[in-house]
Amino acid sequence: MKIDSEKLIQDLVERTRININQVERFNTLSEELLNRKPGPDKWSILECIAHLNLYGDFYIPEITKRIAKSKTESTKTFKAGILDNYFAQTMLPKEKLNKMKTFNDKNPMGSFLDKTTLQRFLNQQEQLLDLLNMAGKIDLNKTKTAINSQLSTNQ
Amino acid sequence: MNPILNFIAQIDKQHLWDKKLELNRKEYLKVKGSIDTNLYFVVSGSLRIYVLEEFDENIIRFGYKDNFIAALDSFISEKPSDLYIQAIKKTQLKVNKKASFMAFIDSSTENTKIWQMMLGDLIYQQMERERDILTSSPLERYKRVLARSPQLFQEIPNKYIASYLRMTPETLSRLKKS
Repeated sequence: MKIDSEKLIQDLVERTRININQVERFNTLSEELLNRKPGPDKWSILECIAHLNLYGDFYIPEITKRIAKSKTESTKTFKAGILDNYFAQTMLPKEKLNKMKTFNDKNPMGSFLDKTTLQRFLNQQEQLLDLLNMAGKIDLNKTKTAINSQLSTNQ
Repeated sequence: MNPILNFIAQIDKQHLWDKKLELNRKEYLKVKGSIDTNLYFVVSGSLRIYVLEEFDENIIRFGYKDNFIAALDSFISEKPSDLYIQAIKKTQLKVNKKASFMAFIDSSTENTKIWQMMLGDLIYQQMERERDILTSSPLERYKRVLARSPQLFQEIPNKYIASYLRMTPETLSRLKKS
């Protein structure tokens, strides 16, 4: 899939804005509600966000490092590789919501969570916006990150 | 009638707004890196426009009821800009895309005149703002802004005004008392 690099980055910035706004709305809810689980094996809102924070903890320094090291220049189009498409697609929610398993180190269940979880997420999003900004100046085709060795898989 | 409110009434009457938007407190209208060429009219509520430097938020401008706001750099250049625009409280906006707004401006000489007047005002305000920033005494900066925009102190929480005035909230409250 070929895509205009600048459009891709603009789309990701806009998605980041929407995610920030959603978490700002969560911030107005009580901690009790944010910790409520819809079922015994289900995650609360804060657990979901904590899960994303664990990925951010890996990817934000990783992307920062790769961009800093990159000596490439921006290109007009981005073409995702076969593996990129495969991993991205397995993570997308399906029409009938697909259950996913996560690995133990990305499972936030049982940890005590408060609103600092949301603040951590918001701080990560600010860093992500900076990275997206810098991503406009490098070749997205040639700059690759490591992937977190423990990816979620479909159940 | 104030020419600008008359101007707004014209846009209302001709149904030229592209859409309406509502933001809850602390939600973002724009974040760093986006291209935003819209012009927004504040129906109610208030917003702040700022840049983030390291961990410091430096407020550039506020918008409240009956103001036009835009990410001015992006509006003019049509390129990405570093500005953040965030609602301070629940805010309702009417949105004009640049193209529809400019078509409205070009549709009559009267509109063109009002737009020129608005741009003139804007340059004047930017000049005043530049002088604020060049004023080294915190007390003088405070006095200038208070004289120019008394409404600001009714609409906007102290911590944001302090940032706009480039001082700590403690300094601002001390100056307000004296």
